[in-house]
Amino acid sequence: MPQPQRQLDSRIEIVTPENIAFHYILAGPFRRLPAYLIDCGIILGFLILAFIVLTMTTSFGGVGGLGIGLWLLLVFIVSWFYFGVFETLWNGQTPGKRMLGLRVLSENGQPINAMQAILRNVLRAVDGLPFWGAGGLGIPFYMCGLAAMAAGSRYQRLGDLACGTIVVVERRSRLRGVARIEHPDVVRMALQLPVSFTVSRGLAHALSVYVARRERIAPARRYEIARSLAEPLAARFSLPGDTNPDLLLCALYYRTFIADSSAGSTPLSPEREAQEMADAEVTLP
Amino acid sequence: MKVAQLLEKRRAGWAELETMCRTLESGGTRRLGPEGVLRFATAYRSACADLALADAYQLPPHTVQYLHDLVGRAHNQLYRSKMFRWRQWGHELFVEVPRRLLFDRTLWLATAVFWGIFFASMALGYSSRSYCEDTVGVDALASVEQSFATPPRGRDANTSGAMGGFYVFNNAGIGLRCFAGGLVLGVGGLLITISNAIQLGAIFGHMFTVEARDNFIEFVTAHGPFELTAIVFSSAAGMRLGFALVDTGGLSRIKSLQRAVYQAVPTMAMAVILFCLAAVIEGFISPSSLPYAAKAGVAVVSTILLLLYVFGLGWLGRPRRAV
Repeated sequence: MPQPQRQLDSRIEIVTPENIAFHYILAGPFRRLPAYLIDCGIILGFLILAFIVLTMTTSFGGVGGLGIGLWLLLVFIVSWFYFGVFETLWNGQTPGKRMLGLRVLSENGQPINAMQAILRNVLRAVDGLPFWGAGGLGIPFYMCGLAAMAAGSRYQRLGDLACGTIVVVERRSRLRGVARIEHPDVVRMALQLPVSFTVSRGLAHALSVYVARRERIAPARRYEIARSLAEPLAARFSLPGDTNPDLLLCALYYRTFIADSSAGSTPLSPEREAQEMADAEVTLP
Repeated sequence: MKVAQLLEKRRAGWAELETMCRTLESGGTRRLGPEGVLRFATAYRSACADLALADAYQLPPHTVQYLHDLVGRAHNQLYRSKMFRWRQWGHELFVEVPRRLLFDRTLWLATAVFWGIFFASMALGYSSRSYCEDTVGVDALASVEQSFATPPRGRDANTSGAMGGFYVFNNAGIGLRCFAGGLVLGVGGLLITISNAIQLGAIFGHMFTVEARDNFIEFVTAHGPFELTAIVFSSAAGMRLGFALVDTGGLSRIKSLQRAVYQAVPTMAMAVILFCLAAVIEGFISPSSLPYAAKAGVAVVSTILLLLYVFGLGWLGRPRRAV
């Protein structure tokens, strides 16, 4: 099903064949440059080491020229195919990309194949234009690649466009639990809230965003931010007008996310919940 | 059920998936073992289900973010890139590429442009020295002349080895840049082909006028067929990419380019193989003290092989029409 382009920032949605949608952050030029520099350092170090080893061993046998020849062959292979071979073998990553948590994927989220990996890196010869210095050893400035990245919406250089690949950030966030606010005032306030009031999804979202961030906001600003939501709520719950807005939102959060007021009801399995959700959606107009 | 309870219940499963991701990232599937792989798939599916229902569960935003990251990470471990498939590449190189070369007009365009301009430039270079100096450069011309001042009477194995490596590095590098340059504005390949043909033609034309003519001819004969054909192949592959941007056949330009990639890359792979063959000949046979007849023999054999490759294999693999 063709989807309208909804991407506003560098976050893209990938829908897998199992019909699961999840988000990736696209890697822009300034995330990719350090990974590229690390890889260049590795290549350079390897070639210098190989030069020393090859010339030393071959000149012992009196065939120093052969060592130079082998080394030049190695320069050719490594400088053109280092990236491509690693991206094939390591599932879209080179050592530099792995260190910085980047990965190359096809545009549809699938892993890349060998042909894509090799070609997107051979086309560095175009993306790298203009080169400072001659021949195969010039220093690339990547102006073409940068221009292509700036022109598109997904930070693709020409090699990426030709192969249909994107570079994403593989983030590793840590799981944080529900924010614990069990201050006695909050618990007392939560008991005052009417039982019949059910929190809508949008409100629940707003509450959890607010509570997750309130620690980092100064009390006066907290008060100011909370007031716009708390005042209509206080009026609706017929609470006194001088109720602390921050406290009210925390109490509502506590009741929605933490306190189990419906202690008697049996917890549902996720499948049953999902089933009931689906049923509810079918029956509702 | 409240979110706090739900999170407590799911936390163990997510942590397990995260641990298995870490194992897979560092050691591949072997370290996980068969049961581990099965458990991984189950844990991935249930994390996916949790993510799909995150909105319904009213999970806090940072938990949703965590799930997006976790599912993305596990997805990249579940689906892995395809390795090189040797048999498939053999089929590409010996069935698909010759057929494509024989029936693709870009190869014939590249051939015509390259050889036409090459001979024209050779004629000009033969007749006027100033033309050569303008196109190749005075210094470059002098260094070419100087390098053929003595007849190729055998290098020691040392120099041959070094030069063989250098020829692969230099010539195949030029070929790959020629191919990549084909992408520039659609006609980059054409421009690079023309410039290569002019330069080479001028050098050839000029070398026929100087004393060292025989040395030059003796040197270039043996590896000429492979090397010049490799240049033509890589130009053709580059042009295929570039022309896909110009003549899209009704597709969007990007899609048309992505389709052309699958035709151009195997051709380029063949060109790199030819460059390597040419480098071996150029390093070990061309400068050796073998009689000229032997070097000419190498040239004849390689020409026959190339003709068999393009016309023989190309004709065998021709698209069959249903009778």
